[in-house]
Amino acid sequence: MKFQGYERPDGSVGVRNIILVMAVADCSEPVARLIAEDIPGAVPITQHYGCIPGEMVANTLIGVAQNGNVGAVLLVGMGCEGMPAHALAKIIKKSGKPVEWISIQELGGTRKAIVKGKEILRAMSEQVLTLKRTEIDAGRLVVGVKCGGSDTSSGLAGNPAVGAFVDMLIDAGGSAIMSEPIEAVGAEEPLARRAVNEDVGKKIYKMIGNEEKRWSVPGAQMEFMCKGNVDGGLTTIEEKSLGAVHKSGSRSIMGVLENSDQLLEKVPEGGGFYLQDGTHMEPMTMSFMAAAGAQIVIFVTGCGGTFGHAIVPMIKVTGNPGTYRRMSEDMDINAGTIITGEESIDSVGRRILDEVIQVASGKPTSGETLGYSNFSVYRRDPRLEALLKIPKKLE
Amino acid sequence: MKRAITMNPDDNVATALENLDAKAPTSIILPSQEVVKEVTSKQAIPFGHKLAIADIKKGGSVIKYGEVIGNASQDIRIGEYVHTHNVKSNRMQMPEVWYREEE
Repeated sequence: MKFQGYERPDGSVGVRNIILVMAVADCSEPVARLIAEDIPGAVPITQHYGCIPGEMVANTLIGVAQNGNVGAVLLVGMGCEGMPAHALAKIIKKSGKPVEWISIQELGGTRKAIVKGKEILRAMSEQVLTLKRTEIDAGRLVVGVKCGGSDTSSGLAGNPAVGAFVDMLIDAGGSAIMSEPIEAVGAEEPLARRAVNEDVGKKIYKMIGNEEKRWSVPGAQMEFMCKGNVDGGLTTIEEKSLGAVHKSGSRSIMGVLENSDQLLEKVPEGGGFYLQDGTHMEPMTMSFMAAAGAQIVIFVTGCGGTFGHAIVPMIKVTGNPGTYRRMSEDMDINAGTIITGEESIDSVGRRILDEVIQVASGKPTSGETLGYSNFSVYRRDPRLEALLKIPKKLE
Repeated sequence: MKRAITMNPDDNVATALENLDAKAPTSIILPSQEVVKEVTSKQAIPFGHKLAIADIKKGGSVIKYGEVIGNASQDIRIGEYVHTHNVKSNRMQMPEVWYREEE
């Protein structure tokens, strides 16, 4: 199985060819947005944790910039920030792709920064947008899976269909990643049974246990389930989690990828299914998975979520036939046919695989067609980690 | 006949695949579409919500996907609506109030 993708200097592969305009902190975001305006292929992003956001945010931003979907990077800094643009640029440059940085203060203010930034982007456009897609083995694909706005159709149709797809992708040599430890509370055992070895099994329990601890602080319980889940028919966290982990398929879990202020571990080459120590919050976990190397994400949404990701195309799957009817323009795959008895789980899984190959080769997702995308990052609060005495590493 | 699905032969609840009226005879099916039994719903049960397909004693396991999803907080009779009013999680309780609504 092959797709038409982009090859990068460091050997990674991409399904999109983005020029990333990264404001290293949100103070420089307005300028980054103005720089990117009207430049084909340019996508502005930022983070909202201030200008000394910590290693976890830095790791995510670096990982995202290194993602194969990104062809070139311009970092936009104010100049006085604690995580300076030039420091990030130095690390991202190791990927071999064109990387430049500017400082608004050094250039003498907004207008001058915009002029300089646009000049850099135009040169990057000429260099990057002329790249042609080439035939690449589907085994090089890393697909992230996530569900949100879940109702019972997610556990009965959407997630099982994505799980069937994940098994097919892995059997074809590809990789998949899931990054939402809290969504597995109550489903530790079925996951640990799939661990490739004892060490991975222990890490699965540790990762989920740590996350449960973080969200068991009084006042935080609401993060486990939302009112929409209960209105949709989900009764307990166990029911929600067992339905949620269906989307991870049934193959061996090869590892739990570290994601801390020490290290953001990438999906290794060689294929297989991986868990990542991430978060359940959708746009943020998409950034974590992108930073670990995912070029495409699949989002299963019973209620119908309408968002995308700035650098990874998002394929939206709904298992709810009513949601598909109401929101077909926003959805990419109707898995509601499982509910209505028209189609088997495997048959929908095959349709998802076809869609992934097409999207990887350039077909726009419904979100890309409608023109929406999100970018946000997440960091675990180091103060909370210290108070709860959560070890820095999963071992 | 209306349909409700069990994901595993060990399950003692089924999920309604369409809105069930009270006293509706309902086919309980497996993912393969095979009908395993017929149960009459005791109350109206919305699409996506669950009904008991066996009697469950107070404190007994509520089983879906072949795994325990919680315990019955009261006796549940076959055909009854199964949700937060008669099932409690073994892991954590959901808040009674999700947000303040203006009266």
